[in-house]
Amino acid sequence: MPERLLLQHLRPYAGRYALGCGFLALASLCALAIPWMVKRAIEALEAGSAAGELQGYVAIILALAAAHGLVRLGSRFAILGGGQAVEFDLRNTLYGHLQKLSLGFYQTHRTGDLMSRASNDLSAVKLLVGFGALSLMATTITFVGTLVAMLAIDPRLTLYAMAPYPLLILLAKRFNSTVHRQSQAVQEQLGALSAQAHENLTGMTVVRAYTMEAGELRHFQRLNAEYLARSLRLARTQAAFSPLLGLIAGIGTLTILWIGGAAVAEKRITLGSFVAFNAYLAHLAWPTIALGWTLSIVRRGLAAMGRIAEILSVEPEFRDAADAVEIAPHVRNAAIEFRNLSFAYEGRGPALRNVTLTIPAGSTLAVVGPTGSGKSTLGALVPRLIDPPPGTLFIGGRDVRGIRLESLRRAVGYVPQDPFLFSRSLRENLALADDAADGKRLAEVARVAGLAEEIEGFLHGWETVVGERGLTVSGGQRQRAALARALLADPPILILDDAFANVDAAKEMEILHALSQVLRGRTTLIITHRLKAAREADWIVVLGEGRIVEQGPHDALIERGGLYARLWRIQQLEEEISRA
Amino acid sequence: MRSHVGANQADGHEDELLGKAYDSRLVARLWEATRAYRRVVLVSAFLFFPIAALELLQPYLLKVAIDSHILRADWGGLTGVAGVFLLTLAGLYALRALQSYLMQLTGQRIMHDLRHRLFAHAQKMDAAFFDKNPVGRLMTRILNDVEAVSDMFGSGVVAILGDLVTVAGVVAVMLAMNWRLALVTFALVPVLAVSAAYFRGQARDAYRGLRTRLARLNAFLQENLQGMTVIQLFCREGAEQRAFVALNSDYRRAQFRSTVYDASLYAVVEAIGSAAVALLLWYGGGQIWEGVLTFGGLVAFIEYTNRFFLPIRDLGAKYAVMQAAMASSERIFGLLDLEPGIRSGAAAARSEAPPIIEFKNVWFAYEGDEWVLSDCSFRVAAGERVALVGITGAGKTTIARLLNRSYEVARGKVLVGGLDVSEWDLTALRRRVGLVPQDVFLFTGSVEANLRLAADGAVRRDALERAAAVANARGFIESLPEGFGYEIKERGANLSQGQRQLLAIARALVYNPAVLVLDEATSSVDPESEALIQDAMERLLEGRTSLVIAHRLSTVQRADRVLVLHRGRVSEEGTHAELLRRGGLYSRLYELQCGR
Repeated sequence: MPERLLLQHLRPYAGRYALGCGFLALASLCALAIPWMVKRAIEALEAGSAAGELQGYVAIILALAAAHGLVRLGSRFAILGGGQAVEFDLRNTLYGHLQKLSLGFYQTHRTGDLMSRASNDLSAVKLLVGFGALSLMATTITFVGTLVAMLAIDPRLTLYAMAPYPLLILLAKRFNSTVHRQSQAVQEQLGALSAQAHENLTGMTVVRAYTMEAGELRHFQRLNAEYLARSLRLARTQAAFSPLLGLIAGIGTLTILWIGGAAVAEKRITLGSFVAFNAYLAHLAWPTIALGWTLSIVRRGLAAMGRIAEILSVEPEFRDAADAVEIAPHVRNAAIEFRNLSFAYEGRGPALRNVTLTIPAGSTLAVVGPTGSGKSTLGALVPRLIDPPPGTLFIGGRDVRGIRLESLRRAVGYVPQDPFLFSRSLRENLALADDAADGKRLAEVARVAGLAEEIEGFLHGWETVVGERGLTVSGGQRQRAALARALLADPPILILDDAFANVDAAKEMEILHALSQVLRGRTTLIITHRLKAAREADWIVVLGEGRIVEQGPHDALIERGGLYARLWRIQQLEEEISRA
Repeated sequence: MRSHVGANQADGHEDELLGKAYDSRLVARLWEATRAYRRVVLVSAFLFFPIAALELLQPYLLKVAIDSHILRADWGGLTGVAGVFLLTLAGLYALRALQSYLMQLTGQRIMHDLRHRLFAHAQKMDAAFFDKNPVGRLMTRILNDVEAVSDMFGSGVVAILGDLVTVAGVVAVMLAMNWRLALVTFALVPVLAVSAAYFRGQARDAYRGLRTRLARLNAFLQENLQGMTVIQLFCREGAEQRAFVALNSDYRRAQFRSTVYDASLYAVVEAIGSAAVALLLWYGGGQIWEGVLTFGGLVAFIEYTNRFFLPIRDLGAKYAVMQAAMASSERIFGLLDLEPGIRSGAAAARSEAPPIIEFKNVWFAYEGDEWVLSDCSFRVAAGERVALVGITGAGKTTIARLLNRSYEVARGKVLVGGLDVSEWDLTALRRRVGLVPQDVFLFTGSVEANLRLAADGAVRRDALERAAAVANARGFIESLPEGFGYEIKERGANLSQGQRQLLAIARALVYNPAVLVLDEATSSVDPESEALIQDAMERLLEGRTSLVIAHRLSTVQRADRVLVLHRGRVSEEGTHAELLRRGGLYSRLYELQCGR
């Protein structure tokens, strides 16, 4: 499966890779021709030929050197560039796919894990299709070409020179797997060390309270010492491994010197051949060493591709049915109806039970109730952040599951309790619904959301970058910004899920008053824990453990003396205390 | 506001800044850090001389073999030279392996030491330090910055020295063998140096550009993953995909640019190497005709030229390692130089000090003059049980933190056993005043280790079991797969809320402080666990001086006295019944609590 997916992404660049392969062959030819010319030059010197012949060889070497440089560059541009193109495509595909996955997916996959796949794993794949591919092709071509050239000079000498190679390749492979195993042990220990340090630093309050500092330091010291021991074990392997390159090249030279030297002495080969042969053997040293490394690139790249393929194979939860309909962006008849709706999150008990409720078009409904009573679930169902069962939720008389998702979401403005702002300018954040919104419209929604004055106060006004990597704005400011950006879309349905929890009560009332005009004609669902805000609604629903326990207008509910009346009393007390 | 943005941005890119590759002040401190390993450093540096000598010997052996034996068909002599050559190979391999190991040894040990120093330093810092330095930043120091410094010893500074020795040796030998031919080779050095410096510089710039773009791309991706709901709600998938593709192609272009310069560097250096061979053939060929140069000499020269070019090519890479090490060591020493704001007093353990705590006109603010406590005074007598109540933000937790001197008061005095906390030896103070924070923080490790915490070897296993029994925790602990040896996962994820609270009570019992400051947990548990917790808590508080930040009705009812904290000071005090009768703030708080 990963291999097939990889091939699928490689196919568009088959031409590039073929071109790169051609360049590599040419480069190898040039690289082999240079020692051959040196050989001819030395033979000319030995024969005492005319100076012109020597100069001719020198000129050819210079030309070959230039040509070699160029085709070598060409091969790298073609293959590494191809690898980068594959990475580019894969990253776009991955991101596009992630955009199609729903809230449920993001609740079960941590951002850190997804990031690691999109960055580390993708890098490993790039290494495979870039350097890995280059190195595999180059090694093959170099080995074949060099062997041919050496055989052309002297088959017997070639046999002697190549004799240690099977052993060397085996040795290099074994070293490589040892290094791999030992570096994993080092990484593991680094993980343990970093976990302990991280835990210690996050739990510093307890560390301090229980005077654990000395013990913690001893614990860290043990992990640190083990890390040192493992690192040094790896260092010993590497110390034995890294000078191997010199040794391989040296053994080649030694073979030539001794056996080839004798051949020259016996006049079986020329001195020029001797020199060229030495150069050829030097060509083989690096690919031999790098073979194990190349193979591990392939192995790791394929494993990483598997992890990426895992994400790509997750089917998007929501797909529009073939007969899904559009709803006009400014439908008048935007009544919301819950029909005996029950809902449970995967692996948990029911969050909503048999909720039947109608919000007439253009009216305002408030939902109140204790934490965990299912209020937010009710709100999240409307824009289908989570999916209601079929036949339970209707907008304008139509089952939401039969409405095209995009048109449904354009019709519903949703303001969550903990809204997310992007690290972009305020203008961009508020204009999410319409990039082309002009200053006047932006100013208007900012005014209604009670944000206008603060924006004026920011150093860069509308261009102030907010979010994680920008200006830290308060929770209340974030909530009001989220309200403004929802209003900009001018949606016929508005859902405010505890949208002013971090705004103080007075400011909330102020915003609600400013809103009241904007809300006219919109179907509104206000989820709140501040009953003062609920009081103004046309109808109030009290949820308890997923059920509707009470409903009616404010005064009637107070009179009833139930859960609503009790919550109302608590909030009055809170107010009194904070005034004291 | 401007400074805030600045700080954020500086934080994000702090690790990107690369400055000098050499800073005498920092180098002096790093040299200091090698003190214990100086002999190893010197030996590994000294090894460069025999290594260079052996490397230089090899081409010369080739020359001797060609001129004196091969061309004269002297088989015996050739075998002798081959034997010597084999010896140089073996010697080189051994010396290089030894040196590589010694360099790693120094680097790894210095990393080990710096990590230890950083961690130990963090243990000494006060709470205000941790408010200012996020855990992520401290982790970067402990994990990555020390690694960069260790690289400097493993592959930076020492390797540069080695390269210098090799280059100097090659130059000397070439000049001695045939100075005219040597000068011909050297003629290419400026070309090599200039083009290597040019391409290396470009490659470095390109790489930096690449890193910035990758950071931008990943930041965008991470943020969009976090805000995916917003993107989907606003139907922005198309626009965001376009923005992502734009960033991605930006990155791709930067990457290709980097590839171009990297590949060019190697291509040019190789071409110059071949050009050098051509030059040697051309000029050396003339010399052979004139009889000034032998064939062996020519071959040896070609070999020397190779050994001469590589170090010059790689100098830039080592320079970059040095730069990174300097930047990292600056950050490491910057952290080590920070002094803890709270220093231990001299008064050692005073077991005779009565378990009394007192606040005298205490003022405290976490920042500037946003007073959390303003003129707060109260006293808890020996053996007394006092409950502290008040709304969120009234300053209850702060009082607890000041009692074990996690923070320093701005004005006024906090007294424990009649002695100002600033005069107490910190460890002795914290042994005396036990603090049980609201969130139960459990460490990864066994249940037993979590009960012991500080009390390492001092408490016997049966004492632990007794404490667990008193805390009503023994039952569930023994039902766990390995009982007291059961491994707790990060943050106690494999235990229930109620079990975690019982463990917190048990470990406070093991710790056994004379004064206990307890911040009751607010998270709700099932009624059965709740009964167990209340019962255990009662036994924990029995016979101790205690200050309990109360969230439970039973706690205030059983307290000797209740303090009502409001706006940073004690506004009412008395027994539960008295306060209720008075009908002030407390009575409303009480009604609120019951209403919930």
